[in-house]
Amino acid sequence: MTRRDFSINDVHLALDGELAADDRAEFERWLDAHPDMKAVSARFERDRTALAAALAPVVQEPVPTRLTHLASGKARPRRLPSLLRNVAAAVVIFVAGGVAGYFAATLGPFAGKQAADQFAEKAIDAYVVYAADPAHAVEVGASDQHYLEGWLSKRTGLKLVVPDLSAEGFELLGGRILPVGKNAAALLVYRDKAGNQLSIYMTGDGETKAKGIYEPADGGPTAIYWLDDDYGCAIVGSMPREQLREVARKAWRQMVESGVTGKGTS
Amino acid sequence: MDEYRRQAIIDEIPRLRRYARALLRDRDAADDLVQDCLERALSRIESWTTGDSPRRWLFTIMHHLFVDQLRRAKRHVQAVAMMPETIDALASPPPQTDKLASAEVLAALQQIGPERRAALVLVAVEGFSYADAANVLGIPAGTLMSRIARGREELRSILDDVSRRKMIKVVEK
Repeated sequence: MTRRDFSINDVHLALDGELAADDRAEFERWLDAHPDMKAVSARFERDRTALAAALAPVVQEPVPTRLTHLASGKARPRRLPSLLRNVAAAVVIFVAGGVAGYFAATLGPFAGKQAADQFAEKAIDAYVVYAADPAHAVEVGASDQHYLEGWLSKRTGLKLVVPDLSAEGFELLGGRILPVGKNAAALLVYRDKAGNQLSIYMTGDGETKAKGIYEPADGGPTAIYWLDDDYGCAIVGSMPREQLREVARKAWRQMVESGVTGKGTS
Repeated sequence: MDEYRRQAIIDEIPRLRRYARALLRDRDAADDLVQDCLERALSRIESWTTGDSPRRWLFTIMHHLFVDQLRRAKRHVQAVAMMPETIDALASPPPQTDKLASAEVLAALQQIGPERRAALVLVAVEGFSYADAANVLGIPAGTLMSRIARGREELRSILDDVSRRKMIKVVEK
């Protein structure tokens, strides 16, 4: 047997299973003869065990559906181009259509209408619960819009852009994530100087194709929404319908323009 | 892409998530990294040349993305600091136990330099051989070994500091 000198390097090699098989017995004897090294080795081993134990639960967690769907090919990553077509069409409708006209023209079969109503109700619920609570409306503030867009895009699977509605008097407060089934919906919250709230609610699931204005029978906030197979968006506010429609139109237009020029085409 | 390959990729997701969590800690940020990794992997499936298992290939892709992320503007870091999870972690002092609390170890891991962190976790947690880990990180084996050694030393001294501070706290009471 050739004798060799061991060092702290061999302590690491041994811990990582990289020590040559021939050297192991001799290394153990060396370790026994060097209590300081033996203590270091034991300590590293404890740290490693603690580290592995701290990270172990991650493997047991249910994998988020956005990841499994992506890998299984069930959900292609949603890119803006498909979204753009919808948005562009919506802009045309906002510009050209009278409210009653496009309401009548665009609502699909009854099942679709039901899904659309439910979507609009969810968007309004989100508005009522979050947007209307000024102190706690958002999770991430408007101060870092770039991050906000990235975060919301990632969580919803959409390529989101945050419209600038300051020309309409609305400043962005920020955004938050909301559960919708097992997925995430994004909520952007705006406020004007008079304290009026406006929210934009977006999801990566549409289920049905529909668009329209939803006004609860008992009054309260109104939702202007657009739904497609893989996208849903609702703009919710309590201001007069014409004003809401105007703001919604501006928001749509910006989503289109921002998407064309920059983000989302990667 | 055939179903076998697809399934093999899906099977790696839990491990990718664990590695990502070790790199970034914040759950959402980690899953975003995994998502980016899957998107990139699926878009260039032909670069999977590691045989039956896509593991090394996927980890390599994720490492590249992680490095890209490190290079990006620091305002992302500031934004991550706003995430609720991070704030919770700061607010709650770990309980006093003999066993190292998971939160402490994970917090300590985040204080290690990212390159050392990656090297240490790949080998010590993910069980990669030195050869495979060096391959994933795109560095020579010698560099890998020194990163692991320094990473371990760093982790030890950070954890020592933590327990020292806890002892001081106890004495003060």
